[in-house]
Amino acid sequence: MKTLILAGTALTAFAAGTTAVLAADKAAVLTNYSNIAEAKYQDSLSTAQALQTAVEALLAAPSADTLDAARTAWLASRVPYQQSEVFRFGNAIVDDWEGKVNAWPLDEGLIDYVDASYGGPSDENALAVLNVVANPAFELSGKAIDATEITPELLEGSLHEAEGIESNVATGYHAIEFLLWGQDLNGTNHGAGNRAWTDYAAGDACTNDNCDRRGAYLKAATDLLVSDLSWMAEQWGDAGEARTTLLGDESAGIVAMLTGMGSLSYGEVAGERMRLGLMLNDPEEEHDCFSDNTHNSHYYDGKGVQNVYLGEYTRVNGDKISGASLSDMVAAINPDLDAEMRGKLTATVDALGALKAAADNGFSYDQMLEQGNAEGEALIMGGINGFVDQTQSIERVVTALKLDGIEFEGSDSLDNPSAVFQ
Amino acid sequence: MRSLTFALTLALSPLAAQADMVDDILDQQILPAMTILASSSQTLSQAAAVDCQITSPDLRQAYIQAFDAWVMVSHLRFGPTETDNRAFALAFWPDSRGKIPKTLVAMIKSEDSNVANAVDFATSSIAVRGFYALEFLLYDAELSHFGKPSYRCQLVRAMTKDIATTAQDILDEWQSSYAAQMRSPSGRYQTKDEVKQELFKALNTGLQITADMRLGRPLGSFDHPRPNRAEARRSGRSLHHVELSLRTLEPLAVALAGDNPDLAEDLHNGFAKALASVARLDDPVFAGVAAPRSRFRIEALQQQINDLRTRAETDLGPALGVEPGFNSLDGD
Repeated sequence: MKTLILAGTALTAFAAGTTAVLAADKAAVLTNYSNIAEAKYQDSLSTAQALQTAVEALLAAPSADTLDAARTAWLASRVPYQQSEVFRFGNAIVDDWEGKVNAWPLDEGLIDYVDASYGGPSDENALAVLNVVANPAFELSGKAIDATEITPELLEGSLHEAEGIESNVATGYHAIEFLLWGQDLNGTNHGAGNRAWTDYAAGDACTNDNCDRRGAYLKAATDLLVSDLSWMAEQWGDAGEARTTLLGDESAGIVAMLTGMGSLSYGEVAGERMRLGLMLNDPEEEHDCFSDNTHNSHYYDGKGVQNVYLGEYTRVNGDKISGASLSDMVAAINPDLDAEMRGKLTATVDALGALKAAADNGFSYDQMLEQGNAEGEALIMGGINGFVDQTQSIERVVTALKLDGIEFEGSDSLDNPSAVFQ
Repeated sequence: MRSLTFALTLALSPLAAQADMVDDILDQQILPAMTILASSSQTLSQAAAVDCQITSPDLRQAYIQAFDAWVMVSHLRFGPTETDNRAFALAFWPDSRGKIPKTLVAMIKSEDSNVANAVDFATSSIAVRGFYALEFLLYDAELSHFGKPSYRCQLVRAMTKDIATTAQDILDEWQSSYAAQMRSPSGRYQTKDEVKQELFKALNTGLQITADMRLGRPLGSFDHPRPNRAEARRSGRSLHHVELSLRTLEPLAVALAGDNPDLAEDLHNGFAKALASVARLDDPVFAGVAAPRSRFRIEALQQQINDLRTRAETDLGPALGVEPGFNSLDGD
């Protein structure tokens, strides 16, 4: 819930002012940003639809091959989605919705069976081992829940964030990831989750029981992801709410862009996702912990931040979108700062690229997290330092754009200092 | 005399006043607080070396002093506390997935040999380092008696030594280079305004941690209050941390309001109001979050702190001429 508070307050002082000087440029920058957002969510949607087709094939004819194809489709679907995360934090409509599709970390025992090492209900979450796949009836907050049919409505309406606990993640990419890979029990050794295709097999071939219910859960979660992404892509269309809100107040719109860049870089990815996992030496803190895809998730988050500043995006089909950008605005008033910002964004993407290349070559992210693994720590810290460093330049950009003529409007509290304490 | 001279300087020369504001915050607040953190952490380590029994009054007293000193600087999350992730090593909280007890149990069960050597111990998970992990060893009903006494003793000594080293490293960096960088910006900070923005962000960060986490986490929602999430509840320090935080943030806020006496006065009043609420609360671990009447009083305190945040954002920032910027709490 921190997200919502911040989306409302971060950089509001900057939003308060308006000026005609940059108005035309701002509209063009915001339109290009919206076009890129629309394309990223459309790409997220089309790759999720491919995942949906693969899941249907898996459930129709479970086999090692169909499970593998579904996993491949899931990995592909992450590429555009992670690049869209930079639209969070600045756009309230994205923040209000994001928890449904990419909530993390999760107490996966809510969904399906887990290893004994996972533990039981915790101080923080009494539902940590609810196991909906195995239980067609249970109680939530004293209310009886009929889970005989596992439907999108059940996941979305009753289970997701049950009892107000954020780690009760019943929907989205990571729930699907868990159902496709299973728990990664390799610790900081190489290797991802290793769920057998027979977890979806019919009759006696079924392993770990309730294969039909597990399949129903996987299908419901995938269908829900597709419908959620479809909705978000529409919001960025010509008359969509996300786009019209953004263009309705151009200064606030520019702030939204920069807020997303800075908050994703620093607090979210560098802090919550990368540094904590490293300092805990804990592979459960990996963003894509079941599939060992964390290196790609971080990399494409970094690309997403860079995309917003440069105003360009390469679509899944190879088409390029580019247009008026924040970089243009900054270059017009302070070319040195623009060069600094571009340089920092490139440095971050390069550092994340090194991390990604190492993982692609077999040095997996969970190995990097191992206690005392200096090489892994250096790779992860490279990404963290890049994100932290670029955030300092993003702050300079915010300040520079303000100095270019955007002034503070008087506020009630400024005119009447004691007002806020009354 | 100093304050009189200072006030005159403020009135006569805005530029000099700005320079003094940073020096003043460094010399009157940050450097003394970091010195206390280092010295009290050293005392803690020495107390553990003398007597590692968790019942040792000297050890417990030293723990209380050093933890207090940490809370007093816990809003200063930039520069030396971030180098080598030092703040994380001193203070891993909130532990929303219960990693501290889980990792401590595993460490004690396996009698992990990293406790024998300070360099090795420093590579351990932050779930077994710092003040919050140590609290489990000293105050948790189960962990304080778990495993072999001799191993627990070694662990307490390793943790306290690690805390002392980390605190000293932070102080050393402040004294050797970081304070100078803030006084004469040229590297990390390009202008004096960027330094002021950093200090302003520290104020906002502290208010946010106290309102959203120290109070917000145990409050949870009306239907699902979460008393078990109260910070350092095992040692009964939850409300105490709120008070310490207000006491350390008030002088920072007032100093930042420097050349605006009306704003300084209003901020002082806002803090006084919140501190008065703290004094009346009489609920050291926020056990009252589940009962409507006591919950209301905790929510009222949270609101008073949020009012201070609003005031800082809408008035203090513009008065200083700086943007709110980003902090490490911006994620979800």
